[in-house]
Amino acid sequence: MQSFTIESQFKITGIGSASGLIYMKDYLFIISDNSSFLYKYSIQEKELNKIPIMENPQGNIAKKEILEVDDLISLFGLEERIYRFRCVEGWSMVVPWIGFPLSKLVDYLQPNSKAKYVKFTTRYDPSMFPDQSKGIFASIKYPYVEGLRMDEAMNPLSFIAVGMYGKRLLPQNGAPIRLVVPWKYGFKSIKSIDNIEFVEEEPKNTWQVQNPKEYGFYANVNPSVDHPRWTQAKERVLGKFGKQNTLSFNGYEKEVGHLYAGMDLRKFF
Amino acid sequence: MGVIIAFLPLAWVGYGLENAIDPIKSLYSVSGMSAIILLLLSLLPSTCKRLCGYNLLRYRRPLGLLAFCYALLHILVFIILDAEGDIAFVVRESLKKPFVFIGMSAFLILLGMAFTSTKRLFKRFAKYHQAVYGAVILAVTHAFWAQKVAGIFEYMLVFSAIIFLSERLIFRMKNL
Repeated sequence: MQSFTIESQFKITGIGSASGLIYMKDYLFIISDNSSFLYKYSIQEKELNKIPIMENPQGNIAKKEILEVDDLISLFGLEERIYRFRCVEGWSMVVPWIGFPLSKLVDYLQPNSKAKYVKFTTRYDPSMFPDQSKGIFASIKYPYVEGLRMDEAMNPLSFIAVGMYGKRLLPQNGAPIRLVVPWKYGFKSIKSIDNIEFVEEEPKNTWQVQNPKEYGFYANVNPSVDHPRWTQAKERVLGKFGKQNTLSFNGYEKEVGHLYAGMDLRKFF
Repeated sequence: MGVIIAFLPLAWVGYGLENAIDPIKSLYSVSGMSAIILLLLSLLPSTCKRLCGYNLLRYRRPLGLLAFCYALLHILVFIILDAEGDIAFVVRESLKKPFVFIGMSAFLILLGMAFTSTKRLFKRFAKYHQAVYGAVILAVTHAFWAQKVAGIFEYMLVFSAIIFLSERLIFRMKNL
């Protein structure tokens, strides 16, 4: 048997890997791995067009995969991160999470240059989540949705947890996988994720939809921007009686402050 | 007997405080919920007298005073524990944030009523005690707003407040 090496002649932005190629009249037709699109590339104009081949194609992603938690663990390994956690309602705690950086997962999924935001969706299964089965009496609209800007998602602090305190996540903590964004209020750290999409527009996150006056998309921990009903300057540490000062970006300003340079954080709360 | 039952929530929260996960929040919730339930119950005796003829009016004053006690406790949690005694902060928050403002206004009404609830003063100030209806509306709004998402308890509060207030309205219109 002889082995071949095919050197790539050019790179097509937006295509990570391909399992099929057809050349026809100056066009390359590409069947991308696990994607729900047929790609049509004009060699002369260097233009990529997508032709959906499924009913609900998921855009901007090279690998559309259904992964089990154990696949994720074997792909990305595990590490422990001890993070401060600050709820928008004023309590805080320190949590030892187990998981892997979100950036590893994003790199693996290979979103294209059109991907500006990551959209996360919690599993919708009323038989599993009691509040979802209440219909119109449910406390919020389901499924729960959260999002991050691409650069936020790629920041080394953004984390996907599969465990905490040395054990697998319990259902109430967001099993099997959840997001942890330590410089944002807790509601950004979406639980029980079962779908990750890369989108061009800022996703409408659940609490912003529920009450846009009180909750925004960014939700960065900020002691100098009050919630309309209470101060964010201090926090109640769970299990303690007294209060402590809340830190800018929950104490991670050095690591993430630059992501928001020049932004009016009163407007983008 | 009634007084003992009314102080049960206090005993319960006192007992559980040692192991409370979020002690300030549980003190807020228990004192606030008790105050508003007692306040609504204090509207019951006169409605009851009009509708079913039972005279329970002797319970009206103690119910109102108990509601005031829990409201006072609620305010003290705010001033002493939450604001850590920073009076300037308390005043600023009360004026700046509508949610705090309406709660504080409801408390000031109850404070005035508690002061004038002695036999001698009540004779002079009885007509001002109609301000309780304002306090009820403010307190129910405050309780409704306090929740991330209003639940069955908050809807029950609104429902009972509407019943009590509309019964009075209908009674007055009949007797014009």
